[in-house]
Amino acid sequence: MYYFLVHLRVLSALVIRETSTRFGTNPGGYIWAFLDPLAHIAFLSVIFMAIAHAPALGTSFPLFFATGYIGFQFYQGMAGYLNGAVASNRSLLSYPNVAPIDTILARYILQFGTTAVVGFCVFALIGLSLRSSITIQWPFLIEAAFAGSLLALGSGLANNVLFIKYPLYEKFYGIVTRPLFMVSGIFFLPDALPHPAREVVLLNPLVHVVMLFRQGFYPEYRAIGFDAGYLYSVAFSLLFGGLLIFTSSRSILRGR
Amino acid sequence: MIRLERATKLVRMKGVSKVIINDVSFVIPRGRSIGLLGRNGAGKSTLLQIIAGTLSLDSGKVIREGKISWPLGFQGSFQGNLSGEQNVRFVARIYGVDTEELVDYVADFAELGAFYKAPVRTYSSGMKARLAFGVSMGVKFDYYLVDEITAVGDTNFKRKSQHVFKERLTDSDVIMVSHSATTLRDYCETGMVLEEGKLAYYDNIEDAIAVHERNMKRQ
Repeated sequence: MYYFLVHLRVLSALVIRETSTRFGTNPGGYIWAFLDPLAHIAFLSVIFMAIAHAPALGTSFPLFFATGYIGFQFYQGMAGYLNGAVASNRSLLSYPNVAPIDTILARYILQFGTTAVVGFCVFALIGLSLRSSITIQWPFLIEAAFAGSLLALGSGLANNVLFIKYPLYEKFYGIVTRPLFMVSGIFFLPDALPHPAREVVLLNPLVHVVMLFRQGFYPEYRAIGFDAGYLYSVAFSLLFGGLLIFTSSRSILRGR
Repeated sequence: MIRLERATKLVRMKGVSKVIINDVSFVIPRGRSIGLLGRNGAGKSTLLQIIAGTLSLDSGKVIREGKISWPLGFQGSFQGNLSGEQNVRFVARIYGVDTEELVDYVADFAELGAFYKAPVRTYSSGMKARLAFGVSMGVKFDYYLVDEITAVGDTNFKRKSQHVFKERLTDSDVIMVSHSATTLRDYCETGMVLEEGKLAYYDNIEDAIAVHERNMKRQ
């Protein structure tokens, strides 16, 4: 019980500590958390409005891209932020109370909360600008948020160790994950792709996260090809592997 | 009480491994302040980290009773992007002491002036050491692990910090690493010498200092 209380104390201290430096010394601070998705969504909407008559789902371009972007962001924002969790708290690990896993959990909590609040505001904004009202099915959204962030948690746990051990892997990881934005079904629906391409795209678990998220906004969306079993197999395998690597590398994480 | 049971620790650095402690069993009872001596690179700081719990042993175990501080060293345990004050708040939160009280105590003690609210990475090493000393004196521990940090600041600051530290030592103990025999005599009654993976205990600090000096001559 005592250890549990210490963990809670350390965790909340780390969340406060991370909150104060999340956006560094950028002027505007948290404004950037909102500007970034809004700019992406606006940019995609303008381009696609020029080349298409209607989005693949519904009638609103901004809503279509926002559902893709925010769903994806539960993975993408989290993965990028978790990868540096231990390295940017290295000096605080000289307090025996603070365990490496606490830095990961603190960032998970902060990032999840940030994406949730940003998503809420973005959809409220879009909802107000639409003539028809949006019907939201929360269970889909909550499930997609957890699935996406679990994928990021698994890879983040592994990366915190592997980036220190193999600097070359960090470069490799950067190159391989960069096109994820293009292939995760943010501005297209995998359902509409022809036969071999669709199967290939569906191998990416993030496509399933985005499909799941979109079902929360479009009741008419059938999400053909969505496979919850596949999504959770990948997510839990990653999480298991990540935990294994992370817990067996305590001395590397403490900087020895 | 701190107890090491058949503790062994190897440190690997770039393919070379070095024995820090080899099968050491040892009891550090309450009520005695201990000076830890050993040559450069013997692993004194590593031993303090093992006692604190930030490093784990290769085999054996450490049993800790009582509240033990983090190792207080020059390099400090501060996050460079946070201000001194934010770092102090962090320490207060993780040790569960009153945040405002500790912030005020350290502001008064460390004499950092306007720098208290500036990022720690802008500090000089002396300022960092003063902050480190101040924040550790503000939290009450049963054992203070001190790694060469007693003599910081100008004469006035030294006098003040010695006074506060001595006051703390009336009901806390210290395990202190220092190369200065005068400092060790000043704070510690008993001593340990770490040499080639073995830890020897001496009831009188003078004996420990004598053994250490003989070791140094032997090369």
